[in-house]
Amino acid sequence: MALEKTAKSNNGAMTPEFFMLPNFVLSLIERVLNQALSLDPQLPQKLSAVKHQRLVVEVRDWQQSIQLVYSAEQLHLYSAQSNENADCMISADIGTLLALKNPAMLTQLIRQDKLDLQGDLNIAQTYSNAFSGIDIDWPEQFSKYIGDTPAQQLYLHLKKLKQNGSKTNTKISTMLTSLCQDELAITIHPLELEQFKKTNRELKGKVAAVEQRINALLNSFSSPKPL
Amino acid sequence: MNETEQKTTHFGYKTVAENDKASMVADVFHSVAAKYDVMNDLMSFGVHRLWKRQTIASSGVRKGHHVLDLAGGTGDLTAKFSQLVGETGQVVLGDINSSMLKVGREKLHNLGLVGNIDYVQMNAEMLPFPDNSFDVITIAFGLRNVTDKDKALRSMYRILKPGGRLLVLEFSKPEHEVLSKAYDFYSFNLLPTMGKLVANDSESYKYLAESIRMHPDQDTLKAMMEDAGFEQTTYQNLTGGIVALHRGFKY
Repeated sequence: MALEKTAKSNNGAMTPEFFMLPNFVLSLIERVLNQALSLDPQLPQKLSAVKHQRLVVEVRDWQQSIQLVYSAEQLHLYSAQSNENADCMISADIGTLLALKNPAMLTQLIRQDKLDLQGDLNIAQTYSNAFSGIDIDWPEQFSKYIGDTPAQQLYLHLKKLKQNGSKTNTKISTMLTSLCQDELAITIHPLELEQFKKTNRELKGKVAAVEQRINALLNSFSSPKPL
Repeated sequence: MNETEQKTTHFGYKTVAENDKASMVADVFHSVAAKYDVMNDLMSFGVHRLWKRQTIASSGVRKGHHVLDLAGGTGDLTAKFSQLVGETGQVVLGDINSSMLKVGREKLHNLGLVGNIDYVQMNAEMLPFPDNSFDVITIAFGLRNVTDKDKALRSMYRILKPGGRLLVLEFSKPEHEVLSKAYDFYSFNLLPTMGKLVANDSESYKYLAESIRMHPDQDTLKAMMEDAGFEQTTYQNLTGGIVALHRGFKY
């Protein structure tokens, strides 16, 4: 049983379980999600279809199972002790779970064997749809603290900053990709070297000829002329 | 000497007459009720919230369940259970102490949690419910204050539905010697001082430290639960065994 398993794992030194870190992280995520719920008026409506139904998400690379329940206009997140009471169970690694932002990917990921799903597929799709379509009216939220005009300006600045950041990110990424993939011209090509050597040899021959001619001329000037 | 006078029990490190313990514990909680939540956060550095989260995670509570939050105090567990069981379920917040119930009721009303919560003043040894009434029973940081723990466990077993589970969250015995020493120093030196400063009551917090040491350790409590009839009894040490979460089923 999960309870026994954890008891044994606690017998070691000060593990993350000692500090209750998984529970602490889940409580923080729960708080953030509930904050999002309170800021997007559409979200509770989207989640109403899965009210009181349990979604268990097993994150393979973290070796953690999380259960999600939506009830009383709030999301509840707990570490799952077992999958026995789950209405829907998803098992995947974190990269695959992040890809679920696009709900259309769900069936594709199942076909690719990247994601295991047991139970009601609609529950997973509803959560995926709800969280991928979060729409928070940020200017409205900012305006509660700083007034309408500054809120709008702040929002536009932040939007521009985000766009610039995204552009810079793309640029850096492209540059890094080309640096990693393309052959760099650090040395000259062998044909160019051959051509250079050939030209060099010709030049050397011409210089030698000129030198010989100069020497001959010098000799002719220095030797006394017969009277 | 008559028979009643001969029966004794622990009240912290003191030995007192069995009949006196309930009222002495009641005095402690009447005294700390108003500052209970603040002191819990201070004393545990907020970790008591994580211990309680773990209890809820292990409870398997779902829509329509009937839950008894025994010794529920200021209603931390009840608040979550109330949301999880929905309109068709029911949560009973039970406590022997009227002051604690009053604080709990006020807190839950302020959170807007009404409709599926009942408040009942009760003694854990004689639970006033019919047999097979609840799907889940929890008792968090309450069992060590009960005079006759075996009787209380039998009473809980009686009112639990077949397939139901009991969760006991309670201070226990740290697994490591070093941790145990540090914990002792903290409990007997710092805790009463904090109690004096915040709640103006060092004696109650001295009792808290003593009552924890007198409480049965993990394996003893597990055996007590099995004696009361619980099956598949397991426990999970939290924070190195400072707290243990015991779980048992009735079939």
